[in-house]
Amino acid sequence: MDRPVGAALRRRVNGVRTASPTAVAERFALPLLAAVTALLLALLFYYPIATVFVDAVVEDGRLTFGPLVEVATDEFYLGRVLGFTAYQALLSTLLSVLLGLPGAWVLARFEFRGRDTLRSVTMVPFVVPSVLVAAAFYATFGANGTLNAALSAIGLPRVDLLPSLGAILVAHAFYNAPLVTRVVAAAWESVDAGAVETARSLGASRRRAFRDVVLPQLLPAILTGATLTFVFTFATFAIPLALGGSQYATIEVFIYSARQQLEYGRAASLAVLETGVSLSLMALYLRYERAQAAERRGIRTLVRRPLWPDSWTRGRALRRLAIAGYAVVVALVFVAPLASMLYASVSVDGRFTLDAYRFLVERQATGAAFQVKPLPAIVNSLVFGAATLLLAVPLGVVMGVLTTRRFRGRWLVDALSMAPLVVSGIVVGLGLLRGLVFGFEAFGYRFTVTGAVAIVAAHAVAAYPFVVRTVAPPLDSLDRALVDSARALGASRARAVLDVELPLVWPGVVAGAAFAFAISIGEFDATVILAEGGGTYTMPVAVERFIGRRLGPATAMGTVLLAVTAASFVVIERVGGEFRG
Amino acid sequence: MTDETGRSRRRFLGAVGAVGVAGLAGCSAQPVADEATSEPPATTDDQVTTEGTTTGEPTESMADTLVVATYPPFVNAPSTSPGAWLKREFESEYDATLVYQTPDSELNYYIERAVQGVDFEADVYVGLDTGQLIDVDSQRGEGQFTGSLFAEASDLAGGDAIKDGLRFDPEGRAVPFDTGYISLVWNATMDGGEFVAPETFEDLTAAEFEGDLIAQNPTTSTTGEAFMLHTIDAFGEDGYLDYWERLQDNGVTVLGNWSDSYSAYLNEEAPMVVSYSTDQVFASAEGQDLDKHQIRFLNDQGYANPEGMARFADSDAPRLAERFMEFMLRPEIQAGIAQRNVAFPAIADAPLPEDYAQYAKEPPESVTFTYDELEANLGTWTDQWARRFAGG
Repeated sequence: MDRPVGAALRRRVNGVRTASPTAVAERFALPLLAAVTALLLALLFYYPIATVFVDAVVEDGRLTFGPLVEVATDEFYLGRVLGFTAYQALLSTLLSVLLGLPGAWVLARFEFRGRDTLRSVTMVPFVVPSVLVAAAFYATFGANGTLNAALSAIGLPRVDLLPSLGAILVAHAFYNAPLVTRVVAAAWESVDAGAVETARSLGASRRRAFRDVVLPQLLPAILTGATLTFVFTFATFAIPLALGGSQYATIEVFIYSARQQLEYGRAASLAVLETGVSLSLMALYLRYERAQAAERRGIRTLVRRPLWPDSWTRGRALRRLAIAGYAVVVALVFVAPLASMLYASVSVDGRFTLDAYRFLVERQATGAAFQVKPLPAIVNSLVFGAATLLLAVPLGVVMGVLTTRRFRGRWLVDALSMAPLVVSGIVVGLGLLRGLVFGFEAFGYRFTVTGAVAIVAAHAVAAYPFVVRTVAPPLDSLDRALVDSARALGASRARAVLDVELPLVWPGVVAGAAFAFAISIGEFDATVILAEGGGTYTMPVAVERFIGRRLGPATAMGTVLLAVTAASFVVIERVGGEFRG
Repeated sequence: MTDETGRSRRRFLGAVGAVGVAGLAGCSAQPVADEATSEPPATTDDQVTTEGTTTGEPTESMADTLVVATYPPFVNAPSTSPGAWLKREFESEYDATLVYQTPDSELNYYIERAVQGVDFEADVYVGLDTGQLIDVDSQRGEGQFTGSLFAEASDLAGGDAIKDGLRFDPEGRAVPFDTGYISLVWNATMDGGEFVAPETFEDLTAAEFEGDLIAQNPTTSTTGEAFMLHTIDAFGEDGYLDYWERLQDNGVTVLGNWSDSYSAYLNEEAPMVVSYSTDQVFASAEGQDLDKHQIRFLNDQGYANPEGMARFADSDAPRLAERFMEFMLRPEIQAGIAQRNVAFPAIADAPLPEDYAQYAKEPPESVTFTYDELEANLGTWTDQWARRFAGG
């Protein structure tokens, strides 16, 4: 064991053995942390959503299952609504994976200037409010959009892409392909170079080595990306409503309108159905992942090739050509809509104007206290984002450690750790509102929390599963010998986690933190339910408030949101970079 | 320990500690018996500073703070909104502070609190329509919502000037303060400047208008609901679904809400959109081409959607709330609201500028359903629409 980590480890565990009283205390640290985590989740998530789901099974104080039965036996909801929702989610997932994989390949296997930054900005689509995506898609792919202008300029026939199922799928890919890219690139970067070299030295062709050695190691990550994409697009709301029109209404649209009509029983029943489907799928995936998890040794990673090679061969040239083609697609799907949004923020009827930004400045300077202003929105977003990190990263790491331990009933911890991903923001927001903001009675007291605390809770429970997902795989493939020798030398379980495992999986922790931050900044549904009528609005809420008969103010606020977010990611990844060992 | 893992552990522990502190700071526990102190969420800076004064018992003398609940664009639209102006005018005349509350879920915010038995401090709600009033009444009896959410309006000074057709609350709680008409907005510059919108609902389904209309989903949008109700008025409750099937066959685009569809319209996705007959007020104010903002009243009718205000039954400031409602009905205030909210006044003799009528179009005939008709049917009508339309 010649790596510096090993030496540092020996030094440290030797030190631990002499300080045995601490070691005794640390033995209980992990179970204690697990208990605290469980309590937090019960309080911040399971209890609140239970208050919503109760509406599906309780009528007039009696347990009747009436609303749930009514919805579950209705052919329209079960067949048409659930069926279409699953169908479009499946297609969206296929497209997202197809679009995301080449990106992972480029990021993982090639070295070029700005690679790290590019990696950071893959998180940006995550935070773009859907209302802006809709507007940007219309400006780009619509009848009078940029695409048609470009097509007719070069003499090609115009296309009418909106609204359509295709537009929904592309917008979903806009949100989720970067997620696939990021998760798969991380896995690709931890592929063992030794195994590939062995295969090659045994006579395997490059393609064969990829298929038999690399691909099996990528598959769990691809399935992670695909599962998450399916779950997200299964619970999609604003995108189909804006880009597909109402004939493509998903189950979430029906939940929203049932809640708007105060039909709580129906809303809760549909939410139970939706959650049931997503949770089953997630559980299936987790079974697969567990079957896959095998101990892997050796963390020497593949060497990245320069994007611009020193010498050209036919194969190299073909590969670069493929990358160029992919770049065109990326520009069309990702860059063009964002650029259209930026353009919309500085123009009216094709004339250049800074009116929209002037509006933001004026609103900040002279807006009344009861109006939404840009600066508080930025500050609130950053504060909530930071608070989310403080809550979600420890939660996610503890859960990650727990899910990689071997013990009976682990599947339950697995499934429960993923549960927040499958509950929609509307349900989480409603649950926190009724469960915590309105408060609950116990021991003769009524306990309530403020809207701000509830918002952080909503963001943190939505975000921590990403930390689990980015921390668990590297923890799983960690060199067990390192941990075992630390334990043999007398380190407690908790100390082994903190001093050995955590430093080794730090890149996963940073990636998880970036996800958590992105989710907090971009979250809208739960935030708007919890922030309404209050001074706790965030940037996406401000964007929504600034929509009117002209899009300028909203797109300008959206641009500010993008800038603040992109800067934050670069900071997170730079700060995280220090810790990479 | 100065090495990397030491730092990461301190962060980790520090993080857990900080969360604990933040959690405590945002939590409160109060004895259950003392219901009056259950703290409402702070709403605005104003609100926080005035909290001390609103908790006092209502006395014979007038309270000095009025909390007005309304929908966000009423105070917060990026173009014009009456909120700030009303606050200034009201405060300059009365020795009182006006505080706004603008929940995104509008009246549902208060209905939900009533059902859950949570206190709120709003005194008046401004901007409710017939559908919302029906929602209030249908939830009565749920959970802890047993009393009445709104009080009946007493004889307000100026109340008799309200146009007859606008009164929509049979129990007289909601007092209309303005009204809008749902109509088509169309773009005469499309089809190479040849486009002319159809005159009737029938013509709208003609082949030449295929794919030319953007409407909104009645289950998620007010304008969408109003347009659907207009088709029910035109074709009857037995015929409207068939009419919508013809519209669907003719390529109507139904989007989720007004802003999605209006931005699609501005991007020239289609030459017609379901919107408001006051569309030109904005367009002319911003110097836009009015040819792109023509108004069409199908069958020479517009669907009227009056907006009302009502006093919450357990308001701490009932007298001040009544003064405010009277203030809202005064002719010059009516004119001010109409211009800033871009709607029509609820009274006949509001002193509007002359060019206002030029841009704000009134239909030859207005159509609307009564409270009773909607109460019995609205839920069924929208559900049927959603099932038929989404099934397509």
